[in-house]
This record gives sequence, C-alpha cells and structure tokens, in this order.
Amino acid sequence: MDLADFDRGAVLASFLVESEEGLDLMEQALVQMESNPSDPELLHTIFRVAHSIKGNATSLELTELAGFAHVIEDLLDVFREQHVLPGGDVISLLLKAVDELRAMVAAAQSGPVELNSRQQGLRKEIAKEVEKRSKRVVRTNGTQEEAGSGAKLDSLPTSNHRTLRADVDKLDHMLNLTGEIVIAQGRLRQMIEKLSGEQGRTIVEMHREAERLYMDLQSEVMSIRMVPVGPLFRQFVRSVRDLAKTHGKIARLEVVGGDVEVDTTVLEQLKDPLVHLIRNAVDHGLEKPEIRESRGKNACGVIRLSAAHSGGNIVVTLQDDGAGFDRARILEKARSIGLISEKEELREQDVYGLVFQAGFSTAESVTDLSGRGVGLDVVRRNIDNLRGTVEITSAAGKGSTIAIRLPLTLAIIEGFSVKVGTEVFIVPLEHVTECTELPAAERNDESSGILSLRGDPLPYVRLRRAFGLSGETPKKENIVVVKINEFHAGIAVDELLGGMQTVVKPLGRAFRRVQGIAGSTVLGDGRVGLILDVPSLLRGVMQTGLPAQA
Amino acid sequence: MGVTNQTKNPAPVVRAQYLTFLTAGEEYAVSLMKVREIIEYDTVTTVPHTPAWMSGVTNLRGKVIPVVDLAIKFGLPPSRITKFSCVIIVEAMFQGESLTMGVLADSVSQVLDLSADEIEKTPPFGTRVRTEYLLGMGALGKKFCLILDIDKVLSAEEMLAVTESVATEEAGAEASEARNRSGKRAHFEAGA
Repeated sequence: MDLADFDRGAVLASFLVESEEGLDLMEQALVQMESNPSDPELLHTIFRVAHSIKGNATSLELTELAGFAHVIEDLLDVFREQHVLPGGDVISLLLKAVDELRAMVAAAQSGPVELNSRQQGLRKEIAKEVEKRSKRVVRTNGTQEEAGSGAKLDSLPTSNHRTLRADVDKLDHMLNLTGEIVIAQGRLRQMIEKLSGEQGRTIVEMHREAERLYMDLQSEVMSIRMVPVGPLFRQFVRSVRDLAKTHGKIARLEVVGGDVEVDTTVLEQLKDPLVHLIRNAVDHGLEKPEIRESRGKNACGVIRLSAAHSGGNIVVTLQDDGAGFDRARILEKARSIGLISEKEELREQDVYGLVFQAGFSTAESVTDLSGRGVGLDVVRRNIDNLRGTVEITSAAGKGSTIAIRLPLTLAIIEGFSVKVGTEVFIVPLEHVTECTELPAAERNDESSGILSLRGDPLPYVRLRRAFGLSGETPKKENIVVVKINEFHAGIAVDELLGGMQTVVKPLGRAFRRVQGIAGSTVLGDGRVGLILDVPSLLRGVMQTGLPAQA
Repeated sequence: MGVTNQTKNPAPVVRAQYLTFLTAGEEYAVSLMKVREIIEYDTVTTVPHTPAWMSGVTNLRGKVIPVVDLAIKFGLPPSRITKFSCVIIVEAMFQGESLTMGVLADSVSQVLDLSADEIEKTPPFGTRVRTEYLLGMGALGKKFCLILDIDKVLSAEEMLAVTESVATEEAGAEASEARNRSGKRAHFEAGA
C-alpha cells in the first residue's frame, strides 16, 4: 500500500508521540536493568520499543532511522537468544543510542533523517558489539542506498500550543469530583430553597451563580477527556493490509472523520469491538482478488471506517465493499443451532442481528482471524456495556455496513427520573420519546400489556412488577415511551419526576450484570437511584413473555 | 458516629480486637482490622434480581456500596430498621480484591480485645450460622459471640450463582427474543 493512501502527517504525528513514550520507557528500563540485572522482562520491554520504532520508521520510509533501530534490535536479540542481560558497557552504549534515537525522531518531524557522523559511528559500534557476541554479520550501510527513494515529505508546521500530558486516572478522579460537586450542589439547593425571607432569596441566588460556575468547570473537565478517534482508527490501516495479505486478499482501510472526538474511556473500550469487526470484514466480507474481478469490482477491497457526531452520540460506521452477509447461510446456521425455528421468517434487520448471538459463526473453517464463533457476540456485549447499539445493513454482492452508535461519554448522562413506590429510577433520556398517562382501561396489576398510542399498539412493561417492587399500584399510572433501534415500548411507572443530569456510578463488582439496571447515581436527597438499562429490561420481559391474550 | 481503626499497643501479636454488634438478637463480632467505619442507617436502595440478603446499595460520601443483611443470610427474618440501626462499613476480600461493603446491624456494642487462646473453635453444629462463615467464638461473659469471617460472607460463589442465573436468563432471553417476535406480532394484532 502506498503511504499516500492515508494521512501521512497524522501517522507521523502519532509516530512521534509513541516513539517519545517508547524511548522514555526504554531509558527507564535500561537504567533499571543496571541496578537490577535479574529481570528478563526489562530486556523484552527494551526490545519491543526498538522493534516498534523500527517498524513504524520503515512504514514512514524513514530508512536511516529504521536502519539505526534495526542494529539496536539485533544487539538486543543476541542477548535474548543467549538468555543473558547486557552489562554496564552495553547499557551505556544503548543509552547513548536512546539519546540519538530521540534526536532522530525529533528530526523526522521536518523530513527524512540522515545519520550524522556521530550517529554512523555509534551504529558501527553497536554492529561491532553484535558481531563480537554472535556470528551474525550486520550490514552497516545496507539501507543507505534506499534512503533517497523515499516519498517526498512536507515539513509539518510546528504547533505553538502548549500541552501537558496527564494521567487518565487523574482525569477520572477530577471528573468524579466534579460529579460529586453536582450532587452536593443539588442537595444544598433542595435545602436552601426551603429558606424564606430576603436572606433566603439572596442565598438561593448566590447558589445559582456558583452552580453555573461548577457547570462550566464540569464541561471543561469533560472536554479535556475528549480525544480524537483518528489515532485509534489509523492503527487499523496497517492491520487491514497485513490481515488481507495473509489471506491472499488485497484491502485498504479508509479513515473518515478522524478528528471526531469522544471520551477517552469510550474510545478505549471501542478498540476490541472494532478489532473483531474489522477482522470479520476482512475474513468474511471481502472476496479474493480474482473473485472480485470476476464480479466487476476492483481487486483491492475497501473498508471504510468513519466517525460522525449525531445528537449526543457518536456513530462509528464500518463499511466494506465485499460480498455482504449471506442471509441464507445465517438463517441456515441459526436453525441448525436452534436459535430460530424451521419455519420462522425474520425481518431483514433481525436476520443480521443473529450474528451477534454467542456461538454463532458461518465460517466453514477455523482461521486465525475469525470463525471460532467467538467475536461478534463479544462485540455486542462490549457495545451494550458502553450503552450503545449496533446495526447491520447488507446488500448481497455489494458489501455490508455496520453502524455502532455510542454515547459521547459514560460519566454523565441526561436522565429522566421516574418514581415507583418510594424508589426513584432514571431512564436515559436518549431512549425516551414521550410520556403519557396510562389509559384507565389498562389499570391492572399485570406485569405487562398493550395499549393504543394514537391508534398504534404499544407493548408496555409495568416496572413495579418487572422488578418485584413492593407497594400497591396507584390509581394513576404513567407511561414512559422508549425507543430502541426501531422498536417502541412503554414503561409503566407511578410518577414522572422530570429530566436531570445524572452522574453515572457503576454498581460495583458485587453486582456484575443485573438485568435491567445499567448503573446507579446519587440523587439530590443523597439516596441512591438506579439507572435503567432499557434494552436489557425489555429483553428480560420478552423472555418471560407478554401475557397471553386470546 | 465513628470508630477509627487505631490500635494503641500493636505489640502483642496474639491479641486482636473485634467489634461486636447485634443482629437478629444475637451478638456477632468482626475483626476490627476489617472495619473502616460505622455509619448511621440511611436509605438503602433495593437492587432488583439480587438475593434477598443483598439489601441493596447506599451512598457513602458519593460512593455507591452494597449493603448486606446478615439476618436473612443466616436464615432469620429480615432486620427491622430502628433508630439504632447502623451500617458497619467493612473491607472484605471479594474475588481476590478488596471490596468496600456495608453490613446492616441492629446496633453496635463494643470493641473486644481477645487473645488467640480466648477464641474457641466453632463446634460442628449448634450455631445458627453455617460454620464456614465463622472464624470461631469469643467469650462474652457467660455467653459467646460468633466471630465472622467477613470475607466469606460475600462469597464469590454465591454472588456468581446469582449473577449467572441472571446471565443465563439473559442468554435465553436473547435466543427467545427472536422466537417471540413472530408470536408478538400476532399478539399486536389481537391487541389492536
């Protein structure tokens, strides 16, 4: 694949950051090795850094830099093979090499790197060390003639932004604290709103002002956590190429919308599902070059990974121009493993939904990529955990599109709070479409039922019964209408309390996956309220089945 | 109300301190080393689909922590909430990691200083509590108090049994979700 195919500037930028981090790590490990010469893991760490710098430099056609990293790697490899750790002399030599690599990486920003005489000397010295310790012959000038042939580089404009790298844990802590402040503020407001007289009004007024400042602070903290998806997406450029190659296919990955930003935690947890989906696309989606050509397509398959904002969500779309999902085979497989019955006909959407079931795979052979029947169910679970949804559309012979919709952040959601008995529950606002009063005809104590919403049937679940909560169903009940994908349903509750910013707190390890509950939050009065996991709640109800009516 | 975790003379190795508390009319003890603090009982929010002895969750200065009712766990009627009710915040080991949780108590009594030879082995039967939850018994005047092994109370197996039953239900739900769909469509027509 030509480097011109993707955004070289951005790859270079992430190379610079990664190499900088790697070299810091390498330096630390070297120093540690000197004082603690018994930990072989240190050697592996150093080796990995040298190796990845070499690899990245090669792909950026920084030939001289790659060559330099290569001799270092050779030297480390000798030690790895002989199962010994380098002594003081070699460590000094390697530390010197780290310094030179740093200079070279920095220089790579403005164009191809050429070794200066000191660096060439050091390279020879390292090569000599390798030869001394093994029978290896090291080419010290072998890569030089290739140096001139590299693609022309545009020098990157250096940015004047002052930046600081911060620990994500610290950011998490900061976010937690701002969340606490929001809660404490809410409690305080409820208290002081009861105050009467001139003084009371003044206090409430001042409190409002402080609240505005806290909100500003919170949004600043949130914005620090937002990172562009580009660097993650671009990591897949190389892996798509390599994966395709091992399978006798040709493919390239196009990245669209790399500058779309999302919370760093969301991005972290998006990585695994994407790895699975991309593997699946290369393995099952794209055809071999000859088949593609016979079908009148370009031999090189294109996978497009894009990100875009949509409302309070980010939509990540993975599109390939391969064969598309094989509808007939999915149905056949689903029947053979008993997911659906023989005669059952499903909607287009539901058919593709089947591939996310555990144990489902239509691949005939187990390959190193996919086909073990694990993978796509993991994708669904990961995306569920992120409170997201995933949808597949596919056209036979033309390719398929997988759209993942995720919230921008996991830490704070817009919630709609409702009351059942004494308990308060929060429905994520993104699911709520409207609220309505439960018609008198539906006042009963069933766990679920059907009501008519402007003439259309709307199945609903009575939360009190679904969760086995105590207390009598009140005379007047309300319905929160929710929408999951294209499916509408109602949730019957006692009271509607209204919208609020909700700081999400996980229920913790003691409760791992409680059906229907996504997490918890501390309410304005200091109590804990539970946040509903609407998709899982509805799935649970469907399993127990709606009441028979005939 | 607060008890700090300070030992004044940590020198004798064999002596250890225990906090005793009353639950369902019986005196229990837990190693003071495990106790982080004692808070007044505040509303505990029930979490659906959890075992009865899991009272729910409460807010400990912004942190959401689970609260267990030992009375139910030990097969007795649920604890009644009175003005003396409190929650003992302990650090228990759960799946190899420390987990902060609350233990509902009718009241807390005292701190006992017991040496190793003052702790009796639990007899194989006769106690209300399953012996696997106990470290031993401490003499309390003429009576005995049961020393709890708090790490075992919230055992991984029991919690797993709960979460797994939910998980399998859910897996079943996913499978039957597709199955139910056709039936539901017919049902809609009936409803409309």
